[in-house]
Amino acid sequence: MAGRYFPAALMARRNLTRTKMRSLLASLGIVIGVIAIASLGMFGVALQYSFTQNLGDIGNQITVSPNAAENVTELTERDVRDIRRVASPTATVAPVKQRVEPVSFDRRTTGRQLVYGVENPAELYEAREGRITEPFRTGALVGANIAEEHDLHPGSTITVNESTVRVRAVLAEGDAFSSLNPDNRILLPASSFQERGYSQVYVIESSGSRANETAMAIRNSLNDRQERVNVMELGSIVDTIEQQFQIINTVLVGIASISLLVAGISILNVMLMSTVERREEIGVLRAVGYQKRDVLKVMLMEATLLGVLGGVAGVVLSLGAGLAINHYTVGDATAVFRMANAWYLGAAFSFGVVTSIVSGLYPAWKAASEEPVEALRG
Amino acid sequence: MNVVDADGLVKRYRTGDQTLDALAGVDFDLDAGEFVSIMGPSGSGKTTLLNILGLLATPTEGRLRLDGQDVTGLSDRKRTAIRKRTIGFVFQHFYLLPTLTAVENVEVPLLLDQPPGLTKRARSLLERMGLGDRLDHRPDELSGGQKQRVAIARSLINDPKIVLADEPTGNLDSETGRKILDEFQRIADEDDVAIVAVTHDELVNEYVDRTVHLVDGTIGRERKSGG
Repeated sequence: MAGRYFPAALMARRNLTRTKMRSLLASLGIVIGVIAIASLGMFGVALQYSFTQNLGDIGNQITVSPNAAENVTELTERDVRDIRRVASPTATVAPVKQRVEPVSFDRRTTGRQLVYGVENPAELYEAREGRITEPFRTGALVGANIAEEHDLHPGSTITVNESTVRVRAVLAEGDAFSSLNPDNRILLPASSFQERGYSQVYVIESSGSRANETAMAIRNSLNDRQERVNVMELGSIVDTIEQQFQIINTVLVGIASISLLVAGISILNVMLMSTVERREEIGVLRAVGYQKRDVLKVMLMEATLLGVLGGVAGVVLSLGAGLAINHYTVGDATAVFRMANAWYLGAAFSFGVVTSIVSGLYPAWKAASEEPVEALRG
Repeated sequence: MNVVDADGLVKRYRTGDQTLDALAGVDFDLDAGEFVSIMGPSGSGKTTLLNILGLLATPTEGRLRLDGQDVTGLSDRKRTAIRKRTIGFVFQHFYLLPTLTAVENVEVPLLLDQPPGLTKRARSLLERMGLGDRLDHRPDELSGGQKQRVAIARSLINDPKIVLADEPTGNLDSETGRKILDEFQRIADEDDVAIVAVTHDELVNEYVDRTVHLVDGTIGRERKSGG
């Protein structure tokens, strides 16, 4: 601390230790306020993090489909070539065909069901049971839900359009929000479809921002003269959801700040009591040549010390709370050491200190503007 | 040269539509190194005069020069600065800060400025007052006489021209009071510091050079004491 401020800090510290219990209680308010703000903030960060983790990779996915409103019913080989051209070299571009077929799972009842034709399902899906062959030329792949419903396993047979097809694999469950989700689908080799056009093209990029760029490039390239395709990209939806989280978090932290307000009032109260009790001492300080601003400085130093004391304790305890929060929500306690959390801890600490100083202003001003003659009258 | 030169000091208080002249035209001079007591019944204006001399209050009328400088009508800030430079205070109730040690209490007037050698000076002042073995004691570990000697050391830390004492022996038994008055006399003689003591205590008059009697805000007869 700078030399000039050190003596004021000395006096302030001694004054606070004079009424230890009262000082401790006053900074306890700040401790609670800081913990409330920091841990709610960190809780929000953890929620957001675990949500993003659950969303998985859907932010990287783009779905291109023909725009029926413009009488485009299918995507051509040329469209697929164009999409491959504008997508980044590392991206997966998977065109998909669709057809409604009579499907029977038990050879007796037949229902009409949408079936998908995929050229290379191995680049989109993983098998839970069985194996996805490369290339995919015969057999069928079924989603987890269908397999469960009809008790299908690799080796089971189903009937599609009166021809028997052997199930090669049951696919692993996909992300709930993804348009690629295979859980309720039957996949057949694309070569078994007579249709030349594609009903959809899936593009999987390496990151959300890449996906965003590619989506724009596809729009520019394919919708040049006519709105031929719809490009759906989940990245922007994820962004929107994250913004919502940000708002919720701000509201939570705002509510937590109320506890700091209460803490501020308690410091105001303590400081006011202290100025009344020390009226004569403050009068002596003025008599021996302390300017009003010197008295102000000593009193504000007390409020600052209370705030710093409470703030430090609050941050330490919040770190503990953060470890617990992250352990239970994210499953990794060390996730507390992330930038966003540091920000909340820092903000909570500064709010705590600023609250103390602001609460100390009025009592300090009151003490400083007391007439020494009045104060010393006894 | 006079360290205090006051002409026609009037202090008028207004309560409602009544006015009260606490001081009604007081002339008061003080030489360097002079030890003067101000006596008078309560309500005679002694404390008001002391507060004006100490720049804690401003006169309604009249003119006050301290150490050759006209201090009438200065701002609070300037008066505080002059008070810090030229005046020391000693109070009846000592008014030491209970949280600070004897040395720290003596340092208080200059604590925020931290001039070099402050602690050394504070220690030597306390040693001079015979408190060399009480330097790091808190006020509650000191007797009344010791507290008052700490207070006197505090009033001298800024090398003042004038020390103003309000009932300095008022809370002490007569034997301790004598010791305190011995200190005052020594300070006035050795350091050439002018001392004004407001008091009821007749004992003080055995030590002072001069006694000023205040009655109803005016100076009564003055009497030279045998110093």
